[in-house]
Amino acid sequence: MGHLIILSDPATTTLLAALLALSLLAAVARFGNVRIPGGAYAQYLWVFFLTFAVAELVSFRVAVWILAALSFVALREYFTLVDIRLQDRLGVLGAFVAIPFMTYFIQIEWYGMFIISIPVYAFLVVPFLVALGGGQAQGTVFSVGVIVFGLFLLVYCMGHIAYLSLDSTWRAAFLILAVTLCDFVSARIPTTSGHPLLRRVARCVAAVPLTVGLALLLAGWAELPVFHAVVLGAMIPPLVAIGNYTMSFIETDLGIKTKRLRPGKGQVLDCLESFLYVAPVVFHYTRYYLT
Amino acid sequence: MRLLVHCLLLRPLLRLLFGVNVEGREHLTGLDSFLLVANHNSHLDVLLLFSMLPVRSLSTTHVAAARDYFGRNPMLFRIVDYLFRPIWIDRQDRTGDPLGEMADHLRDGHNVILFPEGTRGEPGSIGTFRQGVGRLATVLPEVPIVPVVLCGPEKSLPRTSSIPLPIYNTILIGPPQAIRGDSLDITESLERLIRELSESEMVHRHRRVSRVRDAEVIAVLGIDGSGKSTLSRQLARELSADARICLVTDEIELYEHGEKKEVQPLLTELARGVIARQAKTAKSLGRYKIPKMAEILMRDQLIGQVRRWYSPTRIVLDGSPLLNLVAWSRLYDDRELDLATCGAMIRVLTGYEGGLDRRHPVYERFPQLRILKRFALVMPDLVLMLDVAPDVSMQRIRNRGGHQQVHETDDKLARLRAGYILVCDAVRSEFRVSTRILDGHAEPAAVTAAALAAAREPRRGEPAND
Repeated sequence: MGHLIILSDPATTTLLAALLALSLLAAVARFGNVRIPGGAYAQYLWVFFLTFAVAELVSFRVAVWILAALSFVALREYFTLVDIRLQDRLGVLGAFVAIPFMTYFIQIEWYGMFIISIPVYAFLVVPFLVALGGGQAQGTVFSVGVIVFGLFLLVYCMGHIAYLSLDSTWRAAFLILAVTLCDFVSARIPTTSGHPLLRRVARCVAAVPLTVGLALLLAGWAELPVFHAVVLGAMIPPLVAIGNYTMSFIETDLGIKTKRLRPGKGQVLDCLESFLYVAPVVFHYTRYYLT
Repeated sequence: MRLLVHCLLLRPLLRLLFGVNVEGREHLTGLDSFLLVANHNSHLDVLLLFSMLPVRSLSTTHVAAARDYFGRNPMLFRIVDYLFRPIWIDRQDRTGDPLGEMADHLRDGHNVILFPEGTRGEPGSIGTFRQGVGRLATVLPEVPIVPVVLCGPEKSLPRTSSIPLPIYNTILIGPPQAIRGDSLDITESLERLIRELSESEMVHRHRRVSRVRDAEVIAVLGIDGSGKSTLSRQLARELSADARICLVTDEIELYEHGEKKEVQPLLTELARGVIARQAKTAKSLGRYKIPKMAEILMRDQLIGQVRRWYSPTRIVLDGSPLLNLVAWSRLYDDRELDLATCGAMIRVLTGYEGGLDRRHPVYERFPQLRILKRFALVMPDLVLMLDVAPDVSMQRIRNRGGHQQVHETDDKLARLRAGYILVCDAVRSEFRVSTRILDGHAEPAAVTAAALAAAREPRRGEPAND
């Protein structure tokens, strides 16, 4: 009977269907011998939907640790790519330790502590650990910046997706789907001339009707009033454009090349960049107006 | 059981914690027996290589491991012995025949993993290959040699650290090689192959290029009486035509448009002058040592102060504090210095790449380094060594007249000269600093011209190509 109850809820059924479809796609992309365009992207999308399904069916407390694992993988790739000095190792270790530190506060739903865990505690501890590593003072500011930025983007921003799904799983699912839609559309629109940022914005804005439509479609499940659903739908594409534009500079600096993408060489960052930049804004918007 | 531990414990653990990327796996297919040659930076290397092998090769693969290192801990020794069934090599006691053992394994159709560097090298750099691999290849020319480069272990678990960091590791497998020739040729071509393979991966690495470069430091080295003071002054004057050049010699001079300028005195400089006079009038090497050492350290401090207060474009040093200190150790230690020790001393004194492991043998030989490592001395960007025969320079010192310092004898100057040449070798080969050895017997004008040419060559960010 329990299964029937789950399936009788259309929201959960949709979530499970999406997870199943993504699982198939991701499995073929991962283990099959064919190259699917966007196959790698589907794998990370799958992780998000796995998280949401677990949050709905099992427990949010378990689901949050799946996102923590995704943070770990992303942070691991980031530290593989950046130039860290030997003496920064302690600081890097501190950054990894910050993941369970922050995730625990999300798990126990302690918002105040979650929101300061990284920008206050981790950002104070990491420079201390870097200094504790000793050695040459030259380059310390750079090292601290490198570590702290990775921590902010790949752990703290990911934490916002986790906390958003605590408020409402479908709100987080809406964020992920809207960003995906935006990425999908902007990748298929030919480039025009002009400033690179404006070009990106123009391509993403083309997705606005779709994201607004999606927001209205999911407004009921995500508990979004129509007005806010429209605002969020219209807000996400330009934010994705800004995020992608910023990350393109960072990726180029890190030596990430589209041809060489694989885990550990930029694939994780490349796939997650759009989500991470948008998540805090959407989270704080909904928290300010709707919670 | 062994296979289970490998497949169910070690492989998943490596993938979960560190992440493993294998590129060029196809180069291993179809090989019955091979000699795998890899660079060695970390304890993770062996684990990574075993995690990449096909499961059926696990029980027929043997790795060469140092008994003198792993033997120190009986428990670790037994675990390693059980998991990898290594060919034990004792690097101190050379009675066994590990090469014969490896050849036997290869003849039986097994695989052998060899790290020709002999030890875990400095993080991120490939050391000189030892000839064992070449000798093995000459004995068994039919066995294919697979060059492999491991990128990542030098970041995730370098020699100088005991905390592993979760960082992706890349295993690059090159095409199998059949190299003919004598053992030296084979060793050298393998080393070249591995370097090229590693280079192909490293070019994509992120580098901190945005670091603000300080004024370039040009150091003029040479024994007393070689004319290095004259040369460095000449060099400063010539270079100052279109730049601001600071000359740090027995006093500090600032040159602009070929003219000497008045400068504000520095307190450190005044103190250094007092101590330097103490050293110059010392009667024995023992009395000379302490004031000279203090003088050298203060001179190094001065480089920083000069940068700060005079903001020159370039700094010309009459003798480099760092390199002098290393070369001078030859005066106080009767044993010959070798390139590796010299490199290790420089690494400690500069704090380059976080310095060295605390247990490194160089600390036993020169206990002073334990204190001196705090100073992080300045590494010059260009080293000019003015080479003069000791008897010629003694003649010049006598002609000059005045007080003769304690170390100014034929024998000591000869040692010092050898020390300087070795130091030049070390900075060029290990730290990629441009160096030039100039013939001090030539005409002064010719020497200055050669020095100027070297100073004007573009250098920044480029490895030395000489």
